[in-house]
Amino acid sequence: MDRKIGVYICECGPNISEKVDIDRVIQAVSSLNDVAVVERYKLLCSEDGKKFLVEQIKKHGITHLVVAACSPREHQQTFMEICENAGVNPYLFQLANIREQCAWITDDKDKATKKAIRLTKAAISRIRYHAPLEKKQIESNPDVLVIGGGIAGIEASLQLASPDRQVYLVEKTSSLGGMITNFEKTYPDMRPCSEILKQKMDDVDKNDNIKVFTDSEVAELLGFFGNFQVKIKTKAEEIDAVNFDVGAVVLATGSTLFDPQQISQYGYKKFDNVITSLEFEKMNLSGRITLKNGKNPKSVGIIHCVGRDKKGYCSEVCCMYSIKFVRYLKDKLSDVKVSNFYSDLCVPGKSHQQFYEKTQGKNINFIRAESIEITKKGDQLSIKYQDEKGSKNNQVVDMVILSPALEPSSDSSVLSEFTGISQGDGGFFEEEHEKLGPVTTSTEGVYIAGCSQGPKNIPDTIIQAEAVAGKILSSLIPGKKIEPEVKVSHISESFCIGCKTCLDVCSYGCITFNETKKVSVVNEVICRGCGNCVAACPSGAASLKHFTFNQIYQEVKEAVK
Amino acid sequence: MNDNDLYPDVLVIGAGLAGIEASLMLSKAGRKVHLVENTSYTGGTAIKFEEVFSNMECSTCMVAPKQQELLQDKNINLIMLSEIENIGGSSGNFVVKVKKKARYVDLQNCIGCNACFEPCPVSLKNEFEEGLSERKAIYVPCAGALPNVPMIDTEHCIRFKGKKCTACQEACMFDAIDFNQKDEQIELKVGAIIVATGFNIYDPKQVPQYGYGKIDNVYNAFEFERLYASNGPTEGKILIKNGKTPKSVGIIHCVGRDKKGYCSSVCCMYSLKFNHYLTSKIPEVKISEFYTDFCIPGKSHQKFYEKMKNTGTNLIRADNIEIAKKGQGIVIGYNGGNGKQNSATVDMVILAPAIIPRDNTSDLAKILGINVDDYGFFKEEDKNVSSVVSSKPGVFIVGCSQGPKNIQESVSQATAAVGKILSMS
Repeated sequence: MDRKIGVYICECGPNISEKVDIDRVIQAVSSLNDVAVVERYKLLCSEDGKKFLVEQIKKHGITHLVVAACSPREHQQTFMEICENAGVNPYLFQLANIREQCAWITDDKDKATKKAIRLTKAAISRIRYHAPLEKKQIESNPDVLVIGGGIAGIEASLQLASPDRQVYLVEKTSSLGGMITNFEKTYPDMRPCSEILKQKMDDVDKNDNIKVFTDSEVAELLGFFGNFQVKIKTKAEEIDAVNFDVGAVVLATGSTLFDPQQISQYGYKKFDNVITSLEFEKMNLSGRITLKNGKNPKSVGIIHCVGRDKKGYCSEVCCMYSIKFVRYLKDKLSDVKVSNFYSDLCVPGKSHQQFYEKTQGKNINFIRAESIEITKKGDQLSIKYQDEKGSKNNQVVDMVILSPALEPSSDSSVLSEFTGISQGDGGFFEEEHEKLGPVTTSTEGVYIAGCSQGPKNIPDTIIQAEAVAGKILSSLIPGKKIEPEVKVSHISESFCIGCKTCLDVCSYGCITFNETKKVSVVNEVICRGCGNCVAACPSGAASLKHFTFNQIYQEVKEAVK
Repeated sequence: MNDNDLYPDVLVIGAGLAGIEASLMLSKAGRKVHLVENTSYTGGTAIKFEEVFSNMECSTCMVAPKQQELLQDKNINLIMLSEIENIGGSSGNFVVKVKKKARYVDLQNCIGCNACFEPCPVSLKNEFEEGLSERKAIYVPCAGALPNVPMIDTEHCIRFKGKKCTACQEACMFDAIDFNQKDEQIELKVGAIIVATGFNIYDPKQVPQYGYGKIDNVYNAFEFERLYASNGPTEGKILIKNGKTPKSVGIIHCVGRDKKGYCSSVCCMYSLKFNHYLTSKIPEVKISEFYTDFCIPGKSHQKFYEKMKNTGTNLIRADNIEIAKKGQGIVIGYNGGNGKQNSATVDMVILAPAIIPRDNTSDLAKILGINVDDYGFFKEEDKNVSSVVSSKPGVFIVGCSQGPKNIQESVSQATAAVGKILSMS
């Protein structure tokens, strides 16, 4: 096919025409190879301008369109749509930015014109190497696998399940509910957790579109967004495994507690009556708060920030639940003396400070302390600490409750391997973007919610589960095909030397290695076109569509000539 | 949606990050979105910031692609300079009346060349820049605003005061200035509503001992953000009133916390960010941060705190702070935790005020028929069920209009509200 390049230069009113000698640009590019037409126009992005371009393309049989105008940010999409309307593949288009990069940055018309000529010539050189790219559509499965049957997993399942979307909820223990089944009440409203949970569990039970697997774990997870294959191992049954397909995967595996044995001065597991917050929650839930000897404690010390220094982060919920413990204790043992030993009181959000303020009174102390050490003193425990003024103090209590840091649950590393997503700060699953993508990950179709993404309270966990539902419901629509990225990487089978460098640098887990042929293969459905593999490939086998070596080389060569 | 009686369209109120995120997702799901914004631009408060904690990403670079996507999305009807006047009906069948003020600049014709600014004879303080620079009666709030199309401020434009001025119109080469535009009333039929109206900051003048508004070089957090912004009034130079660079700066946390009765959750982190702003522009600057409790929850924030701590910043736990003028400098008197009265002299003070609801929150709550809480934020019905669900079915509350929170939490809530709406059908 003969290449017929049409070059159109926008005056942008006076914006370009006053600073760039457009006639000189026309003159400079008219005689270049393949250039069929060069025209100027007062404002190409206007309705008249768009019509003019479509007519020109049809009239001259233009096969490749170059526009010299403004920033691609402004009108790349506008001109690509014009191509489509005129029957030209939108990737056979190139925009030279002669406004922001020429006209608007200098008063020197000669310099601006010279640069405009370079950029326009560079665009023409580049477009000779453009290839048409087609949008692809692939079938997708709308069903969802949710891993973790805590509050996050339950909430996500309830939001997602519908007659046209099956949810598989996989829980490794024998029942649903997760961490909060251990709690009597939630802060700051002191609502019974069983109440919150019961409603949701009943809804799961009633929902025909949620299939629950308890005592089960994911044994295998293959595939990609829209098309995952899952294998579940179930402990309870004799059946070896259950297989099914889903389009998306939700990781809601929750958190566990830092083991206080790692810091010997807290005396955990060394002394009786030194217990963790979770052990205290369970004791309180059983209805009786007692010491080892069966008696009620007369005095209790609650130690905040256990393991915070080691982990390197604040677990957000410990101050608030430690305050809640004061309520538990006062509810059950009205004369008990409670002292909270904290470093910085962290009570963010609109209703938490009030909860703290209302949890004050007789025999309740909040002590800012550091260098805490717990020793045995007779039947009692001695808490040594340094107070705010720097002086050393000591308090004797019957019971010590440790509030340890939250850690991601032990399944995180194996699931991170299965899904290709990374474990970031503190070993928690890493989100796609700290601000804008809190529940999406580097692997499309794999989502994270709740404490597996980072320490958080119950309401924030529920919000993340609902956010995951929002992401899936808006991108994996039953009956609708998925349109993957068009500008993706391609690895040439004949040039690939099988060094696997690309597998290490791919952030999206879209490259696999074909062991028979000894070559790397790109899954074009999940490739996002970042170009990492292209830059890293030592043999030149990897190339990125629309940003090929030749396209960039020809453009740069002309621009710097 | 099978039931033809339900309206599938969604109304989103507020085009800040939360509102934009919700709109884009709904559009992706095939819903038509009406996004009502009361200013002339998109991006909300986040575009005031040069960088965001904790990875110090350029805020504009983070928001601009979202804004571009929004402006090009054909499923999203962006209605700017507008307010909600009335809402009737119920979940699935809301009828909304929107009052849209005329911009007097045509969004299609204007190419954003700014040629109209120069000839305008009116000059006044630019509110977006916290009054630290001037603007004209025809203006965009800052360079890089999107859409990059100015508006005419009819309160100050002399043409709207009876004069015959056509200066901007004459300067425009694209026939974009249209004095004949009229305010409009628009009626929308929507099935669900997302409220994402954002926040304001507490006015430190209400606590006189901070000296705000009385003593030069005592700034609030927004003012300091603009002083550091490369598209701001000083193009990013941190300067005190006499044009010099400050040698010492005091940052005061928890301004207004006692009065409001809550911790605003983001101030410790953004104060640490200010620390970074200062040391990156003025390496030898001496910084003192006066805080009560360091509130840096979450997996990534303490790392940032430790990095800042190592820059030599003086972290002082303090209360009873009082700020006074002393010669050319400012003296910060405080009680330093050990019970002793202390003081520090600095060239500049930055106050980190509490996050508060926007002024019109209770009016909008009345129009929407939803509740506000003790603090004036929109009230969630039951946060153990979902914090984005308001007291009225079909109306969802997200971002800082529901309570103080950081960008990640705002985006999560916006995304959650979309989840709620899409699972309603």
